[in-house]
Amino acid sequence: MPVGQKLRGHLLPSLSLFFYGRVEDGSSLEKDMGRRSGRKGGEAMNHAPGGPPPGRGRIGRGWSEPGDKSEWQQREELLELLWTMREKGKDNLDEILQAAEEENAELLLAEMERDGWISIPKGKVAFLEEGERRAEEVIRRHRLAERLLSEVFELEESSMESSACQFEHILSPRVLDSVCAFLGHPPTCPHGKPIPRGPCCARFKREVEPLVRPLSDLKIGEVGRVVFITPKSRSRLERLSALGLIPGSIVRLAQKRPSFVLEIGETTLALEEEVVREIYVKRV
Amino acid sequence: MLSSADETMERIALVGNPNVGKSVIFGWLTGQYVTVSNYPGTTVEVTQGNSKIGGRRRVIVDTPGIDNLIPMSEDERVTRDILLEERDLTVIQVCDAKNLRRGLMITLQLAEMEKPVVLVLNMADEAKERGISIDSPGLSRLLGVPVLPTVAIHRGGLDGLARHMDEKRIPQIQPVYPPDFDESIAEIEKILPEKQKGKKALALMLLAGDESLRDWLHASLPDPAVQRIEEIGQRLQRQHQEPLGYLINQKRLKTVDQLLAGVFNKEKDRRGTAALALGNLTTHPVAGIPILILVLYLMYKFVGDFGAGVGVDFMQNVVFGKGVNPTTIRAVEYLLPWKPLQDLLVGPYGLVTMGLTYALAIVLPIVGTFFFAFGLLEDSGYLPRLAVMMNRLFKVISLNGKAVLPMVLGLGCDTMATLTTRVLETKKERILVTLLLALGVPCSAQIGVMLGMFSGLPPKATIIWGGVVIGSMIVVGFLAGKLIPGKKADFILEIPPLRIPTLANILFKTLARIEWFLKEAVPLFLLGTLFLFAFEQMGLLKTLQNLAEPIVVQFLGLPAKATESFLLGFLRRDYGAAGLFVMVKSGELDPLQAVVSLVTITLFIPCLANFLMIIKERGLRQALAMAAFIFPFALMVGGGLNYLLHALDVRF
Repeated sequence: MPVGQKLRGHLLPSLSLFFYGRVEDGSSLEKDMGRRSGRKGGEAMNHAPGGPPPGRGRIGRGWSEPGDKSEWQQREELLELLWTMREKGKDNLDEILQAAEEENAELLLAEMERDGWISIPKGKVAFLEEGERRAEEVIRRHRLAERLLSEVFELEESSMESSACQFEHILSPRVLDSVCAFLGHPPTCPHGKPIPRGPCCARFKREVEPLVRPLSDLKIGEVGRVVFITPKSRSRLERLSALGLIPGSIVRLAQKRPSFVLEIGETTLALEEEVVREIYVKRV
Repeated sequence: MLSSADETMERIALVGNPNVGKSVIFGWLTGQYVTVSNYPGTTVEVTQGNSKIGGRRRVIVDTPGIDNLIPMSEDERVTRDILLEERDLTVIQVCDAKNLRRGLMITLQLAEMEKPVVLVLNMADEAKERGISIDSPGLSRLLGVPVLPTVAIHRGGLDGLARHMDEKRIPQIQPVYPPDFDESIAEIEKILPEKQKGKKALALMLLAGDESLRDWLHASLPDPAVQRIEEIGQRLQRQHQEPLGYLINQKRLKTVDQLLAGVFNKEKDRRGTAALALGNLTTHPVAGIPILILVLYLMYKFVGDFGAGVGVDFMQNVVFGKGVNPTTIRAVEYLLPWKPLQDLLVGPYGLVTMGLTYALAIVLPIVGTFFFAFGLLEDSGYLPRLAVMMNRLFKVISLNGKAVLPMVLGLGCDTMATLTTRVLETKKERILVTLLLALGVPCSAQIGVMLGMFSGLPPKATIIWGGVVIGSMIVVGFLAGKLIPGKKADFILEIPPLRIPTLANILFKTLARIEWFLKEAVPLFLLGTLFLFAFEQMGLLKTLQNLAEPIVVQFLGLPAKATESFLLGFLRRDYGAAGLFVMVKSGELDPLQAVVSLVTITLFIPCLANFLMIIKERGLRQALAMAAFIFPFALMVGGGLNYLLHALDVRF
């Protein structure tokens, strides 16, 4: 099984951990959210929208959308396409229609024109303010999703593409900003294309470090609480957990060279960088 | 395995995390010592002994250290299997007091297996040093089993153990699993054999996807039942994204943490800053290196000067030279007038004059001092730190720092080191280390002789020798690492605190290892001598010499007489070096030739004992393959070096 496929099994719970703080299993989500208020300083990635668990829909966007879900997604795909074509310097309507995957692209474009998102003077498609804003958001979501999938889970190209495509539709703006901060406000997607800046990026200068990062990024002497572990192998995960390294454990980074040396409670462990990179912590 | 008398005796197993002192307690209970190291995996075979402590005769079983009873390695599997298969087994769980959290994880699993437990909190002194206080009576009440703090190495608290060994109570603590887990556990329990004890633990292992239970399952249950169990596990896993084993561990840790909250307290660390600082320095990227060099240098001095110098001199010249040999020669000549038999025993290739003399007068003092120094390294806790320092280097050759143990041990005796490759986790690593040991790591006896030679040569010679040998090992290691199939293991190693070792313990260990050496290696030395004797009698030696001469003379540029050394070098690595030593002394080898011959003989096939051990550990095919590679390779490097030195007109 390629690594990507295997890890996708871990994708949702790890993200649930990240979005909601702590999830034991799918069914206790509600309980967790209730408990969290009583907990002191939990895994504070608490930008949870307070909606239903992530699924194939969207998480409370607050917009009123014309049409049904799938039409909405189709519009978003088109916006994406328009943007990427524009990046390549192509804005010809015919070219766009050819490149579009949706069968009713022409119809959708007409509707978007009607809604004031785009204008099509003389066979060339251009964004209007509303369209530009929406497209920028879609692109940002898509490319951040790609970054997330490739950075954290190291999915290979094909898996990443298809996952990112579905994934981007379920990220709400607030969650998106968290992802951006988490990844350190990446300027480009894995293919090198620019990621439009968001409100969080503007604050970048004050908010220096991402909240949750690989243990290997800590400085020597710093202490972190393990938020999640994304191991390449199941046996590694179980081995680490047998030694006491699980989400919630407090870890101190004692050394980076010649090997990483960690202190967990009274146990001192030497590990190689490859393993340490997969342990994500929040500095305490 | 069990004699009929044993069957009625009570059996007790010592179980616990690695590095907690199980083997020390085993030694106290049985009076036997097991070769132990501060390394997970060195108790590779299960040892049993009889104990009279506590007024009754019992059989004590020492098990490999584990972190979890869902096995991740061969050791853990061995321990788990013992616990699974023996129904009426009491467990003395030895726990590192300061790491009570990890210890209780195991206690929990023993409870689920329904095994009676006596919990020993060892290394209580270290815990105290760190400002840790544990409410043992409180813990004992909560668990429902005896809980005894001890300092086993100093025999502290062990009387308490003797008194409580008879209390057989199962720990009363159980983790609370989520309802869906409980359901699946209950379902599986119903399917398992009725009389099986500890069904809950088994169910959890099966849910965690324990592959190693497969055989046992198929032996104990019909196929449809096994199938059903697998389905239950798969169904539960589908409802959870993370591996079930991981989730189970998490639950257990939570339970343990709740338990600890009431009994475990850590205040100010009372260790001196000096002690802490030293511990940290040993693995420091910069400061660690001079410490490493210092340690190696001290070892070399101790083994080289004391062992090889004083020890060998004494044994060879006094004990054997003046005592054993002359006496034996006279006795044999008197009692056995038949010449061939006399030669067999006391001739130039005689069993006594050559074989025994060599083994006991020359090799033993060196190896003995080496084992002592090695024991010191282990007990002080420095060895894992050495592994940390060497890890980067070892990664180049597809090994990780753990390989330090067999590699350094190889400097003492390659045969023993080959046996110790069992501590490495993957087969690939074991093959690789075995190959490198056979290729380039000279054993202490060989080093002893070579050092004598080097002292008579300019330093350039030593440097060239060292460079070529180490370079060859790195190159071969690198290539072999790429070619040999298999995964490499993660480098995850626990580092124990630095301790001041107890002399008694080190001596005990050294004696155990010397005993092993005498029993295993010496007979092979004698065997090798026997072969030599036979070859010589049959004139084979001459024939082989003639065959090999062209290579030795033309290719390696050495005088014909050196051939004998190479042949002997196979049967007795150190003896080969000694022959060359004699030639250098007498001027028959000039410095350049000396270097070439030394390089060749170092890289040459290992001694017979080592070769036989390789066959034993890795099988005949792999052993022959290694020999087939090493032999021509050594000659090639030797010849190449010879050519290069001449071409560059290197002078000494």
